[in-house]
Amino acid sequence: MFVGWLDGYTQSLLIFGGINVIAAYSFYAPYKTGQVSLGQAGFMAVGAYASAILTQKFGMPFAVALVFGGAVAGAIGVMVGFPALRIKGIYLLLLTLGFSEIMSVIALSWEYIGGAQGFRNISFNNYTLEYVAGIIIVLLLFFARLERSSLGRAMDSIHQDETAAEVMGIDVVRIKLLAFGLGAFIAGLAGALYAHHATYMDSTTFNIMLSVEILVFVVVGGGSTFCGPLLGAAVLNAIPEFLRALREWLELIPVEWTNFYPMNTAYDVLHDFLDFENAKRLIAYGVILILMMIFRPDGLLTRDSLRRLRLPRWKARHA
Amino acid sequence: MIYQQLINGLMLGASYALIAIGYTLIFGVLKLLYFAHGEVFMVGAFVGLYLVILGGANIYVALLGAMIVCALLGVIAVYVSVRPVSKDRPLAPLISTIGLTIILQNLAVYIFGGQQVAFPETIKQQLYHFGPITISSVQIFILAVATTLMVVLWLFIEHSKMGRAIRATAENHETAALLGVDVNRVVLVTFMIGSGIAGVAGVLDGIKNSGVSPFMGLGAAVKGLIVMLLGGLGNVPGAMVAGLLLGMIEILSAAYIGTTERDFFSFAILILILLYRPTGLFGTRTTEER
Repeated sequence: MFVGWLDGYTQSLLIFGGINVIAAYSFYAPYKTGQVSLGQAGFMAVGAYASAILTQKFGMPFAVALVFGGAVAGAIGVMVGFPALRIKGIYLLLLTLGFSEIMSVIALSWEYIGGAQGFRNISFNNYTLEYVAGIIIVLLLFFARLERSSLGRAMDSIHQDETAAEVMGIDVVRIKLLAFGLGAFIAGLAGALYAHHATYMDSTTFNIMLSVEILVFVVVGGGSTFCGPLLGAAVLNAIPEFLRALREWLELIPVEWTNFYPMNTAYDVLHDFLDFENAKRLIAYGVILILMMIFRPDGLLTRDSLRRLRLPRWKARHA
Repeated sequence: MIYQQLINGLMLGASYALIAIGYTLIFGVLKLLYFAHGEVFMVGAFVGLYLVILGGANIYVALLGAMIVCALLGVIAVYVSVRPVSKDRPLAPLISTIGLTIILQNLAVYIFGGQQVAFPETIKQQLYHFGPITISSVQIFILAVATTLMVVLWLFIEHSKMGRAIRATAENHETAALLGVDVNRVVLVTFMIGSGIAGVAGVLDGIKNSGVSPFMGLGAAVKGLIVMLLGGLGNVPGAMVAGLLLGMIEILSAAYIGTTERDFFSFAILILILLYRPTGLFGTRTTEER
């Protein structure tokens, strides 16, 4: 569908950016009930490995493997979510982090899925971009609808005050489990998409830093509205590309404009600054995070800022 | 064989304990999961390394230098990522220190490159035999430094005026402030102490593994977290004992079960503790977060 009019580089960029958006929503679902997970990379790993086993060892088509990957991750999510119900805050953060690390130890030591050599030669899926776009659209519709539904409001109330929500008759256990499992399911989809695009993964592919990055997307974008994760993931993935484009424009400046004293130094400094390899990109991430927490701890988009925009409202039947 | 492994476990555990002490001190005072602590450990290792390579310093100067630089880094961390961040959002300080973690790690990658750098031999390698146990001079040195540090810290916390202020602040900020404790100063001092100890631990780790890498912080941070939890959040002696315990468990499981399973055990312990004994093995009063 899109393949005709996008070059390979742009496609790959959109795919990885899109997978990050999906992963951001996987963090957003449990976060809506106040559960902060540092283990979304672990659920991505579950989805990625489960789907890759299905396509490689059993020769199943990708669509089946995608759903299977999501379902396995979701089931494990509910299993992890059960004990996670009893704990919150820092303890939950540590629990999910521990879960994610255990997944990577299993990936490292289980020879059937490649062990230390990694999982190789996963079949390449030609339609990843279409799948990614479709899933993002479904997620957006779903979370937009959720925002004004009774379930969504119940989730918000759990986020704000669990005891009060329980007193109001909300089934806190069921909703928290649902949110956690849903997040894991979405993460599993993201992992399956990743595996069949990258075609290789090992125990370090889905690491703590990935979980942290996913959390950052939501925090920067804003965790209180359904558009926040999309915005955060899109902005943070676009910044390095934007700077790369700026650099290419910079190189188009004629040489005679920049070959004398103050200009050449300025050119070199600017050129160097825009050279955004990984370490610098991540340093910029860190700086953005700290600045965000100081000046806008609720993220770029909040409910208030959306209200000010006066967007047409999505009417729900029973809100 | 088993005695030898116990010695190795003691070595590993000592460095875990040193990292966890800083974590638990800072958690006690601020109720903050200070994510950047592992990176402070890494910075300490690099400071020690460069003092030895470029300055030709001996190991004591390197340890002292790493301690001072890391203590300063702790102060910077407070001013950059703790004080300006609003306190009424529980996640905000955690995320800003995650930001600091990312900055420090990648700054190190940017400056020193992503490779492991060898740590030159600073202590004459010599082996001593006690019956079935063989212990090297390096191991003795590391154990001696770690033990001294822990004893001094324990005495400081238990018997000095500042130590009492730290304990009071850990219990309750408002009450401590009412009783005349300068809470901001206590926080600053706590960060300096914790970070300084982490710096020393970094250099010791560099000596032990004869190498330093920008990525050593993350693993150390995670292990430090497990130890902190095992010892009880905010419990300093608990962190010391739990560090040694985790070191022993890891070495013994690596020796008798398998090296890849070693991390499995530490994370399984983390999860079991979280579920069944979130106050840690030795208990603390910090149960309100649960």
